[in-house]
Amino acid sequence: MSDLEAYRAKAAAWCEAMVPTFGKAARKGLSVEEDLALGRRYQKAKFDAGYAGINWPTDVGGQGLGHLEKITFEGEEMKHGFPNVYFGISLGMPVPVLMQFGSDREFVRERVLKALQGEEIWCQLFSEPSGGTDLAGLRTRAETDGNGWKVNGQKVWTSWAQYSDYGVIVVRTDPTVAKHKGLTYFWVDMKAPGVTVRPIKLAGGDSHVNEVFFDDVKISDDHRMSPVGGGFGVAIATLMIERYVATDSAGFGPHLDLFVELAKDVQLNGKPAIEDGRIRQQIARNYAMRAGLDSINRRARLMMQAGMTPGPEGSLNKLVAVRSRQKLSELALDLQGNAGFAFDEHASPKDDWASSWINAPTGRIAGGSDETLLNTIAERILGLPQDHRPDKGIPFNQIPA
Amino acid sequence: MSILYDEGQEAIATESRRVLEARMDKDDLLPLLEATGEYHHGFWTTAKEQGWTALALPEAYGGLALGLVELGLIAHQAGRTLSGAPFLTSGFGAAKAIELYGTDAQRSRWLPGLASGETIGAVAFACGADALPQHPGVTLTGDRLDGRKIGVTGALAADVAVVLANGPGMPALAIVELDKVERVAVPSFDNSRCIADLHFDGTPAETLVVGSAAREAALHIIALQAVVTAHEQTGGAEALMEIARDYAVTRKAFGQPIGAFQSIKHRIAELYGLVELARANCTHAAAREGQSDFITAAAAARLSATDAYDTAARDCVQIHGGIGVTWEIGLHLHMRRARSLAIEQGSSLFWEDVLVDRLSGEAA
Repeated sequence: MSDLEAYRAKAAAWCEAMVPTFGKAARKGLSVEEDLALGRRYQKAKFDAGYAGINWPTDVGGQGLGHLEKITFEGEEMKHGFPNVYFGISLGMPVPVLMQFGSDREFVRERVLKALQGEEIWCQLFSEPSGGTDLAGLRTRAETDGNGWKVNGQKVWTSWAQYSDYGVIVVRTDPTVAKHKGLTYFWVDMKAPGVTVRPIKLAGGDSHVNEVFFDDVKISDDHRMSPVGGGFGVAIATLMIERYVATDSAGFGPHLDLFVELAKDVQLNGKPAIEDGRIRQQIARNYAMRAGLDSINRRARLMMQAGMTPGPEGSLNKLVAVRSRQKLSELALDLQGNAGFAFDEHASPKDDWASSWINAPTGRIAGGSDETLLNTIAERILGLPQDHRPDKGIPFNQIPA
Repeated sequence: MSILYDEGQEAIATESRRVLEARMDKDDLLPLLEATGEYHHGFWTTAKEQGWTALALPEAYGGLALGLVELGLIAHQAGRTLSGAPFLTSGFGAAKAIELYGTDAQRSRWLPGLASGETIGAVAFACGADALPQHPGVTLTGDRLDGRKIGVTGALAADVAVVLANGPGMPALAIVELDKVERVAVPSFDNSRCIADLHFDGTPAETLVVGSAAREAALHIIALQAVVTAHEQTGGAEALMEIARDYAVTRKAFGQPIGAFQSIKHRIAELYGLVELARANCTHAAAREGQSDFITAAAAARLSATDAYDTAARDCVQIHGGIGVTWEIGLHLHMRRARSLAIEQGSSLFWEDVLVDRLSGEAA
């Protein structure tokens, strides 16, 4: 058994042992607040067992292991539906950026340790009402105020802001230069006066995203994590941190096995739906697509193991998997017919077709819309030209609204 | 487990690409479309010279004892440059059938010639849309074959064929020498595939395998061939994606390269996705030869590669506009090949059923 396989076996055993306390059955019927409290205990258990910050430096409480160990653990962890979703953004982007760019190292160490143990949560304040994809077009502004700064404006789609203690934020500090040159990156205390968080209820019924308002919020200059005007670079670094996370060729929806089971169970024209050519074709096509993504992901792991950089094809996973999950979920509802009307807004998108279907659009939009991902593939991988950008090179305050 | 190519395999890919790019030219392929039964001799000579015919066959019979992974790499490159003859795949299928199911005498008789490429092989299983028909259209009685096999790729040039037949009350695979068989050329939309109908009339034949094992053997052989073909399809799709990209960055309309329009750039980005999914499935399937999930992996490779090549052919021509449909530019060579490869070794309709039977436990 290779070292990595031994690591996987150990991780799998630990995850199994956690199921009675933190698994799907234990979470059933909990309110969001109760589930979050359970999630904090789960995160602490992970930390105590050495599965938090797996590839982070040991001096901030990490395990000092590699990326491979991290995604190996995550591959096991995601099989069980543990309450870890509240910490995904926090530990995925803002906290690693704090580690990389935070200037007060003692403060950084304290925050990272608390975040790893589930005591504190960080959010990422990037998107705004005027634009998400066009990050550099943001309007929230920070003006100098004595020795520090004063922030005014609004962010939106901020995941878990309502439970966050801190956030990282990109704001405009100079509107007289081209749009991506006038941005600066800070961290903020989410409990500071002038910060208002308002949850947004989404189509599927849950409210994990928020509007966040900043009204004369004062922050000192030691919150700054980039040079003044150098915020865009740090923001891009945030987005590039984890190109290879544990991916899911089911697009974070139900596994294809569940569709096959459904097709065997239900009748279509007096015979099992699994014998219907239309259903068979969709099963076959979806299997081929998912098998391709799985092979891409396995190859990426092998390349990392061999010390190589995986190819850019890893960027296909979200694009291809989520939109096909959306269609397959529609077909699964068709297969159930009027027996499929029942809806449980607390059901998991990973094993419930209606939940998978109604939440699929979020997956196709959040973290880079399908269209943005296609642009990225076309421009970065294939060398096709950028779109026409009339605001290019123009000072921000002169861009026509 | 998917594999990473080792240095030797990378070298096979690089060298075969170099050789084929130097020797293959679409201007030599265009006239072949208008001459039934002609193939590109330069391509076939190259395949023999380079040892590609011997690649995946045992050393004892003049082979190089490499496998599906290496042959797949060659096929990928052949697909990029539009291989000039179908015999690499058809001969490989015939040779594997004889190697896996034949007697020592049959192996000694046929494999050295197939490995050197001096003997050309063909596989005759299908009947219309059914790649493995229950009623194969020919009957094996003792050591005689009667009946007709239609649309056999490579048959116009082949010396030997492995045929799926009705034995006495059960399926059988038989080896048939083709020199005395009546072959009726099929003028095809992809003429260099050398397609013919074979008419057997008391033709001498040798039995390879009979009974239910014959159907399993036949499925295994076309799965092996399908993985080779899937690599070829992926290579063709990859070449078309690059051709589309190159055109989109140079051709201008409304004062900008057409590749700046999202209707064009997204189409090409989607092709990238299809090519990479097909490539990943191909690599995986080739590495699964001999494992219990090989047929499943082969089906996935076949389905995604057929989708990639067909879509790339469709979209690459569309992105070119009017020039794309001219004879001279030759994109129709890929359109034609995409379709002939989609049919050989069983169409998507066939492989979808094979795959779903396995996923739903019906074929276990």
